[in-house]
Amino acid sequence: MAKAVKAAAKAVKSPHADAVRKAAKSPMLEIPEPKLNWMNNSRQWGVRVKPGKKGLTLGSLNVGIYGEIPMEWPDQTRNPRGAVGRKGMPPVGYMLRSKAEVWADSAADLYEEAIQRRWAPATDVPWHTVKPLSQELERAICQVSTELSQYANVEIEVISSWQHQMAYGYHEVKQYLATAGFDAARHYEVFRKRALINGGGLGLEGPGQVNRMILESRGGWTEAVVYLVLVRGLFAQTIVRYLEQYASNEAERFIYQNVLQDKARLLTYGVDHLKFAIAHGEDRKQVIATLLAIGDGLFIRDFNDPVLREALAIIFGGSIEGARRTGMDVYHDMMRSFMSTHLEYCRWLDVPRRVPERLAQYAPQA
Amino acid sequence: MASFPSVEWFDDVRDIFNNEESFRGGGGGQCNCVAGIKVGKHVFVLTFEGFECTDAQKASLRDLDEVDFYMDMGALEWQAMLENIRKNGHADLGYTLNTLDLDRTEGLATSKHGDQYREDLFFRYNQTFQYFFDASARIKTEFG
Repeated sequence: MAKAVKAAAKAVKSPHADAVRKAAKSPMLEIPEPKLNWMNNSRQWGVRVKPGKKGLTLGSLNVGIYGEIPMEWPDQTRNPRGAVGRKGMPPVGYMLRSKAEVWADSAADLYEEAIQRRWAPATDVPWHTVKPLSQELERAICQVSTELSQYANVEIEVISSWQHQMAYGYHEVKQYLATAGFDAARHYEVFRKRALINGGGLGLEGPGQVNRMILESRGGWTEAVVYLVLVRGLFAQTIVRYLEQYASNEAERFIYQNVLQDKARLLTYGVDHLKFAIAHGEDRKQVIATLLAIGDGLFIRDFNDPVLREALAIIFGGSIEGARRTGMDVYHDMMRSFMSTHLEYCRWLDVPRRVPERLAQYAPQA
Repeated sequence: MASFPSVEWFDDVRDIFNNEESFRGGGGGQCNCVAGIKVGKHVFVLTFEGFECTDAQKASLRDLDEVDFYMDMGALEWQAMLENIRKNGHADLGYTLNTLDLDRTEGLATSKHGDQYREDLFFRYNQTFQYFFDASARIKTEFG
C-alpha cells in the first residue's frame, strides 16, 4: 500500500475516514504509481508575465505563442488558446471560427474596464433621493424605464445566443461579451427598480419591431452587431444621455451616467468589430449598408409608435403641459442628435448610407 | 489659492482626485487616456493612467492634434461649471459633462483626428472625468 494513502487515511477525520481505512487494509486495493507524463505537455513553458501599471491584464497575457491569434480557428473543441489539444475530443460545433466574424482589438481592454467599472444598483444608487413626483411625470418615467429594461433584456438574449457559438481561439471577445451580458442584466435590473420604487409600476410593453429584428438576425454575429450597436445601441445611448440631462433626482442621475458608460463600452466593441470585419471582407461595407436599409423600415415602425415619444416628451417638459410647450422640441432635438451620431459612425466606418424620408428630417443638412 | 486655468490648479485637483478612494468604485475605475482641456485660448493636457491623473501640462493648440479628445469651452463657461461644482459639492444636473456636451452645438468633447474610437473614451470614462472635476469642489479657485 502506498505510504501516502496510509498517511492520508490516518490523518483524515472526515465521516468517511473509517471507510477509507478499511479500504486501505484490503488486499484488493491497488494504487497505481503516478506517471506524471502530462507534465511535459506545454506548447511554451517558462512564461513570466509581469503586472504593469494597470495590473495583470488579460491583454498583457498575449505573449509568445499565447499571443498568436490566427485568422481562422479550425479547432472545434473547448481547448483554451495555447493549450495542447487532447486527441479524440468530439467537436462542439462552434459556428463562428473566423476572426473577421467576431474580433475587435479593444475586447481585452473592454473586459478589464467592465470588471473595473462595475456598479451595484442595490447599494450604489442613492435611492433615498427619489422623492414623490407628479403622477404624469412618474408614469412617464415608469414607461421609459419599462422600455429600457425591455431593450436590456433583448441585449442579454442576443449576446448570449451568439457568444456560445464563438470559438475559444477568440476568448477575449467571449469574455468581454460575458461582461456586456452582465451589464445588460444590470440595466434590466436598475430600470425595473426605478419603475417600482416611487409609487408607480411598469408600463406598456414596447412595440418590439427592432427587438425582433435584432433577435432574429440570422446572418451572423456581425449582422447582429449592426442592429444591436449602430441602430439600437446608439438610440438607447442617446435616450440615456437626454434622460441624464432631465433627471428628477440624484438617483436617476447616477443611474443614467453609469448606464451611459456601460453602453459606451458595447458601442466601442461594436464599431471596433465592424471596422475589423470591413477591413477583412471585400463586400462587408455594402452588406452593412444593405442591413441598415432593411433595418430602417422596422426602426420607423417602432418610431411611429407614440408611446415612447410621448413619455420622453413629458419627462423633458416636466409635465403633459410642459411636453406641449418644450418637451416635444427636446424630443426632436434628441432624434437629431441620434441621427447625427449614427451618420457620423457610418461615415467613420465608410459605410454608404441613404437616410429614408421619414428620418431625413432629423439628419444634419449637408 | 490656485488660479483657473493653470497647471497649479490642475495639480491641486489631481492631488485630491488621486487620493480619493471613493472615486475608484461605483462606476469609477481605471482610466487610460490623454485628454485636452481648452479654456478659451489656453490649452492643457491631462494624462490619466490607472486610477490616477498622472500629469497636467500647459500645451499649445497644436498639441490638441495628439490627444484622444479634448473638452472645449470659453473661460466664462468653465467658470460657471466650476462655481456650480463648488456650490453643490459636485456638478448639479445643469452642469454635468454630459449635459454640457448636449447643450452645445459643437459638443463639449471633440477631437481633431475624428477617430470615433478615441473620441468615445469621453463616454467610456465619463464618470471618472466627472469625479475629476467634482474634486475641484474641495479647493478654492480664483478665476483670472
